[in-house]
Amino acid sequence: MDNLADKLKKYRLSKDEYARIESVLGRAPQGVEWALFSALWSEHCSYKSSRVHLKKFAFNSPRVLQAMGENAGVIDIGHGEKVAFKMESHNHPSFIEPYQGAATGVGGILRDIFTMGARPIALANFLCFGRPEAPRMPQLVEGVVAGISGYGNCVGVPTITGQTEFHDSYNNNILVNALAVGLFCEGDPVVTSVAKGNGNYVVYVGAKTGRDGVHGASMASESFASDSESKRPTVQIGDPFFEKLLIESCLDVMKQDLVVAIQDMGAAGLTSSSFEMAAKGGVGFKIHLDRVPLRDTSVGPEEILLSESQERMLLICEPAKFEAVKKVFHHWGLDASVLGEVYDGPEVELYWKGDLICKMDPKILTDNAPVYNRPYQKWAPKKQTAELKAKDLNLIDVLSSVEGTSRRWIYQQYDQRVGAKTARDCDDSVSVQRLPSGRGFGLVLGCRPHVMRVDAQVGGYDSGFYPALELAAKGFRPLAMTDCLNFGNPEKEEIMSEFVAAVEALAETAKILDSPVISGNVSFYNETLNQNITSTPSTGLVGLRESVENIPRSHFTHKGDAIYLWRLPQVELVGDQLGRTPQFKGAIDAQKAARFVDAVRVAVQNPSINSSRVNGKFGLGYTLARMCTETLGAAVDAVAGGFWTERLYEVVLAGPESVMEPLQKAASTCGSELVKIGTVTEGTLQLGPQKHSLNELNKAYNTGWSQNFAQLA
Amino acid sequence: MKKIGVLRFLGTNCDRDVWQAVEDVGLKPEWLWYEDQFQVADYSAYVVPGGFSYGDYLRCGALAAKAPVMKSLGEAAAKGYPVLGICNGFQILCETKLLPGALVRNEKRKFVDRWVSLNPQTQTKWNAKARAVIKLPVAHGEGRYYAETEELKALWDQEQVWMTYVENPNGALEDIAGVCNKQKNVCGLMPHPERAMADWMGGADGRVIMESLLG
Amino acid sequence: MKIGVKILPKNEVLDTQGRAVEGTLRAHKREVSQCRVGKYVQLEIGENDESKALAKAKEITEFVLYNPLIETYELEVVKQ
Repeated sequence: MDNLADKLKKYRLSKDEYARIESVLGRAPQGVEWALFSALWSEHCSYKSSRVHLKKFAFNSPRVLQAMGENAGVIDIGHGEKVAFKMESHNHPSFIEPYQGAATGVGGILRDIFTMGARPIALANFLCFGRPEAPRMPQLVEGVVAGISGYGNCVGVPTITGQTEFHDSYNNNILVNALAVGLFCEGDPVVTSVAKGNGNYVVYVGAKTGRDGVHGASMASESFASDSESKRPTVQIGDPFFEKLLIESCLDVMKQDLVVAIQDMGAAGLTSSSFEMAAKGGVGFKIHLDRVPLRDTSVGPEEILLSESQERMLLICEPAKFEAVKKVFHHWGLDASVLGEVYDGPEVELYWKGDLICKMDPKILTDNAPVYNRPYQKWAPKKQTAELKAKDLNLIDVLSSVEGTSRRWIYQQYDQRVGAKTARDCDDSVSVQRLPSGRGFGLVLGCRPHVMRVDAQVGGYDSGFYPALELAAKGFRPLAMTDCLNFGNPEKEEIMSEFVAAVEALAETAKILDSPVISGNVSFYNETLNQNITSTPSTGLVGLRESVENIPRSHFTHKGDAIYLWRLPQVELVGDQLGRTPQFKGAIDAQKAARFVDAVRVAVQNPSINSSRVNGKFGLGYTLARMCTETLGAAVDAVAGGFWTERLYEVVLAGPESVMEPLQKAASTCGSELVKIGTVTEGTLQLGPQKHSLNELNKAYNTGWSQNFAQLA
Repeated sequence: MKKIGVLRFLGTNCDRDVWQAVEDVGLKPEWLWYEDQFQVADYSAYVVPGGFSYGDYLRCGALAAKAPVMKSLGEAAAKGYPVLGICNGFQILCETKLLPGALVRNEKRKFVDRWVSLNPQTQTKWNAKARAVIKLPVAHGEGRYYAETEELKALWDQEQVWMTYVENPNGALEDIAGVCNKQKNVCGLMPHPERAMADWMGGADGRVIMESLLG
Repeated sequence: MKIGVKILPKNEVLDTQGRAVEGTLRAHKREVSQCRVGKYVQLEIGENDESKALAKAKEITEFVLYNPLIETYELEVVKQ
């Protein structure tokens, strides 16, 4: 028999946590109870290190129908339409097996959406890779992109936007964050995971259970050691074809009002789904584990509880409706099996071949998980300088660098149009879908790691404001957001300090923009061999616009258009890309920034504005180059502050001279200024004294990828 | 008004988009489920939508080709009803031999999503009105048209090459994007007309295909 | 010498293709208790000694042909 230390190691529990288990149970844990505590008290399931800070995101908004605590957040967008969305990380599995890791990340986030009753309409992904020359990196890039494309394309949900970053802090710990959006049309029910109803059936649907991903949840909550090879047997295989059948059948039973509650068997599989559903409803379950359909009959009860086999759901239905449920699943080629029933409780009872092997009040697991207020320091900006000193960049170098080059190699592998709703795809800075009501639904990702490396607080604000401004520049009102907080080891004070600074800044931004954070996840322990990743609080913002007509383009469209720079410079910064020394000065005034965002949104409703783009990474030089096309360029004279520092925040607009006056008026209402900086021309891009042919620019931008990833081209 | 039959297999994912496109041109779609046979006279035309039937496992279209609904579709094709296979639907029609040739993995072995320009090469029941270049999106991993040299020659001789790419996205032999049978009622096309039905989608050229259902 | 490499998904790993093919076979009343779909690779190795050829093929297979996380493989000498 194992001694206690071995058991604690196997189940990834600390000595203090063990003491806590003894105190809540009033005795030592036995048998499968070990597995239950290991899974549900893991960082991944319990949010034990982040919970005290995540509360800062909470605020009331009448449009929020479901927020944290459910599978995904849901907002009401009027006209009988609602949307559900959420972002989640799949970092460690993707580093171990990039194709399956990324694919199952997409599958998992889709299940979180359609278990709410929403039909998935869009996918997006936020990816952070190491340097191209880092070991395995080309294969990781290729595998992750192939996994996302293989799953998303086959399941029939378009991938409409993404962000891809490269930095050596991700060399041994890449980030793969997937976001999914679902739509409820008029009359579609919002279904939750709250189990109810004495005597109701607990039903298992979808794929059979194998050993896939046993101990996955607790693995996701641990730093990588160099022996991560030995953790390999836990790889899970995703089947997008099966998921497609599950989507159709689940939406069908929900629409027919055949189910009481439903939840995906995600992290920690049957354990988390059953105990969480019971706890939420304040009921008990009697579950016969031997009735779980198995792929391999040698799988035992503990493995059944912890298996993370994909494409499985647990649902509650009234006994009288079970035959109808079964019929729907059969129609789609799937099985449904009764595992047991709901009773007044409060305990969940687990049986194996007739024997009661565990009886526990689910609240012991879900409500008594340890909560850590890990030590952190109040935020003090470190790299603040009086005057920025930065050498100008060479535009061609920037455009062909891995940071600046086109991501077409990636997104050309994604089906961006299945579903026939896509109005603006991955090519654009904001992706747009046309809703059945005719309105435009905008989606954009946020968080710029180079800003986070300059200052975690500025980066936290920027994770909300930058995407909000991108939406506003296309005339979309930001409505709500989701986040995926990727950080290093929270037991280290400097990491926890960055976490708290970023969360507080993001929470303030959400409040001021009236865009609540309605869902998300936290991924800690992104640390390998003592190197922590860049703290990366990625976000996804959604916005709405009255129609999909007359949305400004992200590139120039008319020769002779005047080019305007609308600016509210609060922070000036130089990122660390291309070997520069990071520096910044200034501070974000969130109130002012929010008024700026709103003024931009209102002003671009003017249909004469042809082009808009938020000034982003590297500075104005890169932004203007991105607005050039094969034929249209620009002539821009010297601009105050130069072309190669970033200013938070600025927007570049293009249109006829007639738009200048109304734009200037709008700018003055929010304490910002608007200046004409140049004209749209043909054939060249002139930045002050520098002149580049468009051929040269396009060549650099379009071949930079293959220069950096020769094997992948 | 006669109905348009839209086939549905396990895994088909462009079915709802085709449904919408059929409605957009003012016609009435109806599902034809893979397990069921149907009366061919009940419908005026048939569309086999795209999108990963059976996950593209084994070979694209191979498992769908064996479904009972394809028996009836074969009957409809023989009787001269217009049949259009889009993307995976094209692959299914090739697997059932209703259309010649096969669709294999893209030359660069990667899925490709982009807009392409197409040259209609011949008039069929599905493009009575389209003569000039049309712009449609492609989205496929296995869209490279393949046929043996003799067969290719015969296709050109019998005017069975329906559409060709202006810029070949997948290495298709002789730039072939779509073919038809000898009678020109059964057509297969890799690009997706149902995703190009309005300017906000990026183009409306798909209408010329779908509107040919109006006769 | 020609060496064939038979690659199959590991038994304990879900085989998505096999599951789909199995389902279709069942629907057409061609019941099998299990179906697994793999890959077959043939290597022409400039080596006349069987054990040396097999050793080379093993090295090549483990270098790139199969993924030990999810697959197993078997080598066979292909008779001319």
